[in-house]
Amino acid sequence: MQTDKDLFDLIKESFPLDPREDFVSETSKKLRQIARKQKRKRRMIQFSFASTSFIICALAISWFFFYGGKDTISNNLYSLGEVNSPSSINSQDPLVYIYQTHNKESFATESKTNEPSEAFHENKNISLVGERLSESLKKKNINSIHDKTNIMGILKERGLSFTKSYEVSRNVINTALEKNKSIKMVFDIHRGAEKRSDTTINLNGKDYPTVAFIVSRSSSNFEENFKNAELLHNKLELKYPGLSKGVIVKNNPNQNTYNQDLLDNSVLLEIGGFENTLEEEYRTADILAEIISDILRTNK
Amino acid sequence: MHNFEDLEDKIIEIYRQHYLDVYRFLICFTGNQNDAEDLTQEVFIRVLNNLSNFTTGSLKTWIFSIAKHAAIDHYRKKKFYSIFKEGFFKKMASTEKEPNELIEQNEIKRLVHTAISKLKPNYRAVVILRGINEFSIKETAEILQCSESKVKVDYHRALKELKKKLRMNAEEVIGNAN
Repeated sequence: MQTDKDLFDLIKESFPLDPREDFVSETSKKLRQIARKQKRKRRMIQFSFASTSFIICALAISWFFFYGGKDTISNNLYSLGEVNSPSSINSQDPLVYIYQTHNKESFATESKTNEPSEAFHENKNISLVGERLSESLKKKNINSIHDKTNIMGILKERGLSFTKSYEVSRNVINTALEKNKSIKMVFDIHRGAEKRSDTTINLNGKDYPTVAFIVSRSSSNFEENFKNAELLHNKLELKYPGLSKGVIVKNNPNQNTYNQDLLDNSVLLEIGGFENTLEEEYRTADILAEIISDILRTNK
Repeated sequence: MHNFEDLEDKIIEIYRQHYLDVYRFLICFTGNQNDAEDLTQEVFIRVLNNLSNFTTGSLKTWIFSIAKHAAIDHYRKKKFYSIFKEGFFKKMASTEKEPNELIEQNEIKRLVHTAISKLKPNYRAVVILRGINEFSIKETAEILQCSESKVKVDYHRALKELKKKLRMNAEEVIGNAN
């Protein structure tokens, strides 16, 4: 019969192999239409994507600036930084509470007197030393609360005698401890009434007021308080021998607890005496901050 | 992302280059001008929509595999040749011929169509791709997504069948003409 080629020629002849011109141009047009539609669709998608991103950015920026976003972020960054350094103590929660039951106790140089019983001052007093201690602690990354309550002012207002000072200060510290569960140490700052020669030591050519750690026998936390006071004393002795007078246990009849039953790490600090100067007091306060922060850092 | 100016131009260019071949394949496959036109259009619309997915390989074989799928899908829907519709012969461009010759030619054409319509879609596709579109064995294998040896085998079997049918029927026609 025929060859393959003939066969295919026959087949080719059997079919109208050329499409109509109308059809060709119609299809062309249709394809263009569809292509344009697709283009438009994609443009729409791009546009809505872009505008959504823009809106989100705008929202984020306005949150950041207007709704405290900045604060949130900086707070988080700070705590992140804290978490990263291995032995860091979170400086947000206060660890130390500093107050002054006899807040107007002052010094001869300030109160212009030679009698300890008269060495009191309205504002240039032992509170400044407590403040200095708090500041020095902050420099060492330890957050502390420095109480500025005018305890003696309250006594006067209520017509109470000096002996009631600890009752008044007890309220203050109680409230504070309830509010701040993170407090690990309490210091009641006082100054002594002895003469200068008994309250001063010379280290490296400078005069430093001595420190006495006073613990009340009658406090229910006596054992713990004593231990902690000893720890402070020992550390101080190691670095600055002679600066500390040691731990003194008060065991008088009807002994005042000095509010030391409120926390198991509570001690009354007697820093120097009425014949020291504020400047000297600050020196010792700085050293105390050093020792306290050392202890807090090692005791996690 | 595509450059969109290009998309319209691209598809038109692709269409210009390939519509003739695609149409020819489809007209031989379906035997019906309407269907061939519809399918051709459908094929190129599919090409347009999937152009972004096409990255490697021969454009031609990709377009034709779309055409083959379209044709076979269509075949399944319409399991009979619409050659028997009246319109077919009327639409064909008529050339000047003597009445007898015309009748005889129509008969032969009808036979050819019938013979091809009796081929299974796979054989049909191979025969048209190889014989009408004149694709190589390799290209045909790519389009049909089968092995080259299958292409060869199917092609031979298809031709054999075609010849058998045409021989038998041609004898009949010649017999009748006399």
